[in-house]
Amino acid sequence: MKRILTANWLLALAGAALTAMALAGTARAASTPRPHLITRWENFTTANGMPDAKVFCVTVDGERVWAGTEDGLVLIEHGKVARVFKTEDGLAHRVVMGIALDQATGDLWIATFGGVSHFSGGRFENFTNLTSGLLNDICYGIAVQDKFVWVTTTAGVSRYNTYTGEWTNWSEKNAPFHEPWTYGVAIADNIGKIYFAMWGGGLIEYDQVQKYMKAYTDPDEEMELVLFKNQGLVHIIVSNVAYNPDTKMVWASTYFGLSGYDGRNWHNYLNKDSGLASDFINAPKTRRNEVWNCTDKGLSYLDYKTNTWVNYRPDKNTGHGEIEIVWPDKTKTKLETPTALAHNYILNMDFQGEDIWVATAQGLSHGIREIQKENQLYASARNRRSPGKDAPAHSQEGR
Amino acid sequence: MTPRKPSSGSHGHGKDKLLRVLRGSKDLTQRTRRTSVTSVLNLFRRQRTQRNDGQERVPSHEEGTVPRVASGRSSRCAWLVLAAFVAAAMLWAARIPSPEAAPLGPQMSAAAEPEYLTPVEVKLSPDGAKLYIVCEGSDSLLALDTRTRQVVAQVKVGDKPRGIALSPDARTIYVSNSWSDTVSEVDAATFKVRRTLKTGWCPVGLITDPPGKTLYVANSIGDDVSVIDLATGEDTKRFRTRHYPEQVTLSRDGRRVYVSNVLPLPTAYDQPPASELLVINAQKQTVAERVLVPGVIELRHIAEAPARLGSYLLVPFVRPKNLGPLIQVGQGWVLTHGIAVVRPSAVSATEGGKSRVTEVLLDDIDYYFAGNEGVAFTPDGRQALVTAAQANVVSVVDTVRLARRLREVPSEELADRLDSAETIVAYRLPTGHSPSSVEVAPDGRVAYIANRLDDSLTVIDLARRRVAGTVDLGGPKEITLLRRGEQLFNSAKYCFQGQFACATCHPNSHLDGLAWNLETPQLGRDRVANRTLRGVRETGPYKWSGKNPDLATQCGPRIAKFLFRSEGFNTQELEALLTYLNNIPLAPNRHLAADGQLTEAQERGKAVYYRTHKNDGTVIPIQNRCDTCHPADSHYTNKLSADVGTATKFDTSGLFDTPQLDRVYEDAPYLHDGEALTLEEIWTVFNNKDTHGITSDMSKEQLNDLIEFLKTL
Repeated sequence: MKRILTANWLLALAGAALTAMALAGTARAASTPRPHLITRWENFTTANGMPDAKVFCVTVDGERVWAGTEDGLVLIEHGKVARVFKTEDGLAHRVVMGIALDQATGDLWIATFGGVSHFSGGRFENFTNLTSGLLNDICYGIAVQDKFVWVTTTAGVSRYNTYTGEWTNWSEKNAPFHEPWTYGVAIADNIGKIYFAMWGGGLIEYDQVQKYMKAYTDPDEEMELVLFKNQGLVHIIVSNVAYNPDTKMVWASTYFGLSGYDGRNWHNYLNKDSGLASDFINAPKTRRNEVWNCTDKGLSYLDYKTNTWVNYRPDKNTGHGEIEIVWPDKTKTKLETPTALAHNYILNMDFQGEDIWVATAQGLSHGIREIQKENQLYASARNRRSPGKDAPAHSQEGR
Repeated sequence: MTPRKPSSGSHGHGKDKLLRVLRGSKDLTQRTRRTSVTSVLNLFRRQRTQRNDGQERVPSHEEGTVPRVASGRSSRCAWLVLAAFVAAAMLWAARIPSPEAAPLGPQMSAAAEPEYLTPVEVKLSPDGAKLYIVCEGSDSLLALDTRTRQVVAQVKVGDKPRGIALSPDARTIYVSNSWSDTVSEVDAATFKVRRTLKTGWCPVGLITDPPGKTLYVANSIGDDVSVIDLATGEDTKRFRTRHYPEQVTLSRDGRRVYVSNVLPLPTAYDQPPASELLVINAQKQTVAERVLVPGVIELRHIAEAPARLGSYLLVPFVRPKNLGPLIQVGQGWVLTHGIAVVRPSAVSATEGGKSRVTEVLLDDIDYYFAGNEGVAFTPDGRQALVTAAQANVVSVVDTVRLARRLREVPSEELADRLDSAETIVAYRLPTGHSPSSVEVAPDGRVAYIANRLDDSLTVIDLARRRVAGTVDLGGPKEITLLRRGEQLFNSAKYCFQGQFACATCHPNSHLDGLAWNLETPQLGRDRVANRTLRGVRETGPYKWSGKNPDLATQCGPRIAKFLFRSEGFNTQELEALLTYLNNIPLAPNRHLAADGQLTEAQERGKAVYYRTHKNDGTVIPIQNRCDTCHPADSHYTNKLSADVGTATKFDTSGLFDTPQLDRVYEDAPYLHDGEALTLEEIWTVFNNKDTHGITSDMSKEQLNDLIEFLKTL
């Protein structure tokens, strides 16, 4: 009898322990980050209507999608290439590097290697170094800010006042540009700033109220090393810039890592100590708690709040899509999707609701989020994930 | 297609009678003004003028006022050349400019001039009981009781009002003030200005959206359309236009806003012009389409046919043949006038939509009806009234016949067919001077036409096809010399077959944006860009060649011989015309702050304009400095001709008159042949050898600053 009681007591203890373990597991599962996943890819390539394989930029306009390629401007509509606009249609140059949608008018402002095109009502109006006050015809980035159009060029920054026709230029002659070669522009209206990505010149901040420019450069001034942790921009070769009005953070992509700046502190990410797919980043995009990085080794997503990374790239052997989740504790989970990005060399991207559009070196990819498939993938991920310790955001080491 | 030869036999007796009415009591060809014209000719022949190169020119009988170089006097010529050189050098030396020099010369005072009303726009209340009249001359808005035909209310608005719109409930009237850059919001019941809304530069046409929440305003000089939130009064956004937008219309279904442009799109000077009709999606407030209307300029009012007729648009235009020699006036076809029939696309341009455009002329083969401006449909859409502002005529188009014409004749032919009017114009009626705007009463019985230069309305009885009466709006009865001159400027009857008036090529007393093959009978040679007449006083000599020392020479017998191909103006008429020309004012400078303070960029540009040294410190020769040829004390022109290296192989001479620079930002295209479409191109494209000022050492920033300063002149 005593033996039976002891056995019962042991069973109860074991049950309680199991229950406690189960409860603990449930609690852990509930706190696990779960970034949403792109589960399907539809690609637009030269095989289905794109004029050129290399897609430099993409801009979502409601249900429409505009893509800039090495040979013209493309309109994607109703799931297909609806129209292609080339120089014979009036486009300033075949190489389209940037597209900005004027939300107020529905017009597009387009940065090309032959100046700026304004596309409105089916017609182009072009601005070049010879016909206007544009600083240089090699234009990379473009942004619309109310009545102003900002253009980044190889010779500096140009601003066009669409109401008065006035052009204002900033270059090494009148601004703190270590190098005039400017790649990207991001409007940060809710903090009164505009940011410029300078190739070799760091990140430039323009204060709209005080009307002055301030340069953020790499404090250690090392081209290949990052010696000081979070003390400034990770590198002065800044390839592009994005501003997140929700978090009031500016993100600068460099060829040597990612830098985020919240107005007080810098938050830097490298491939070696974070989930970043590659330090060579062509452009960042950001919204909510998301920072998407267009790298040479795939599309690298950071959930900034939970410090979880998701990397997308095509598997060259199978042609399937590879999803790599890097959890906050640095453990990794690899998943597979039947479809994949058009290429791992990513140049740009944009959001369309929960979907994304990605410009790659081999076509334009439409990334689609399917909730059911996402749940299935997470279910399979639970089985494969190696347990680890959750890390708070921005606690990475080694920068 | 081969043009049909004029044939008097093709016109009926009634038409001949009408033409006599239109041309005045005497036939133009039988008028006995030859004596006075001859005396003017002789007067000019007696004049011996000195060219800036010192060569004497003696107008010959054969050449009219065209100068020719006197021959066989080589030694005298040499002395004259030397004297001229010395004089020019002294001029340069004496004209070391002060940067603070007054930027503008005086305009002739018009203080003694009575205040004419100058009604430019009319708008009927929805019930037809009131006709609102915008009076540009008196800066006022009038209300006319259409039953009694009496002006029952008036209110002062802003400076030079040009356009009008009613709120959907007709309780509010919006009037655009083109020189104030505002819209006056007038209470229709009390006829008092409630508030004043800021717009872009030079607002003209305007319209509200169906809910009455948004006001669309065409800013002519600003080259855009303001979208004004009527709740807050704020100018929320702008749509870019090309070029000089003036009239705005809302489609009957309220879904679209149409905007017409007076000047053509900037185009290579040797290409035919094309104009743009902007289509705005009123629901999304985005640009739906930019409709290209090829071969024409001066798109004016816009009227939409009723939906059951297809909701097509009618837009009056001028069709210039500026690439051919203007000497061809005698053969006709140089400037024709008609309406564009635009069938808007159901979908936007980016969705692949494309509106269809057909152009139909309203001229007769042997008489033209210049200055098509106002247009309105009758309520049933069976008739469309088109005012010919420079012929003082309203043409009533039978739209059933128009539709048949469009079906029967290929679209590409119609634009050049002068026989369309025989088919589609039901009748024409005379109006007062410069009929600019027309409204048809809701019951379709009468139409009201604003006679801009008569201070009157013409009332048309549409049932009886006759003029029912003229309403005197109460302007001054005296016709001053200046007013008479403005009427002459806007009258095509002095041109052979009434083909065009001064105002045809100088709409709004400005320019038409084209380069013309004016006098040389060789196709494509010596093309010259049209030049503005605003502020033209004291800027002589005239013409790009600088051949005409004064406006009398420019506009007298020369006009008759080379342009109008008729007897032109008599002495009194010429005096009146010159009075008007000498008083065409410059519009307010939109690039200059009200207090005259320059911006930082403008200040920097001013320093560049007056610089004496290149960036590397070397001295710029005095003849290569901006202010040498463009001195501030004489409208920024030294009134001499210069070779600035802009001549092409098509030009006989490289010497061109130095243009004035007042309001230069309004005057594109630039250079003698209009090759430079923007101010930048003057230096970036056409000054490679530093022959038009030293600019090759300038940075882009300096050039931009210079241009910002030039815009303040």
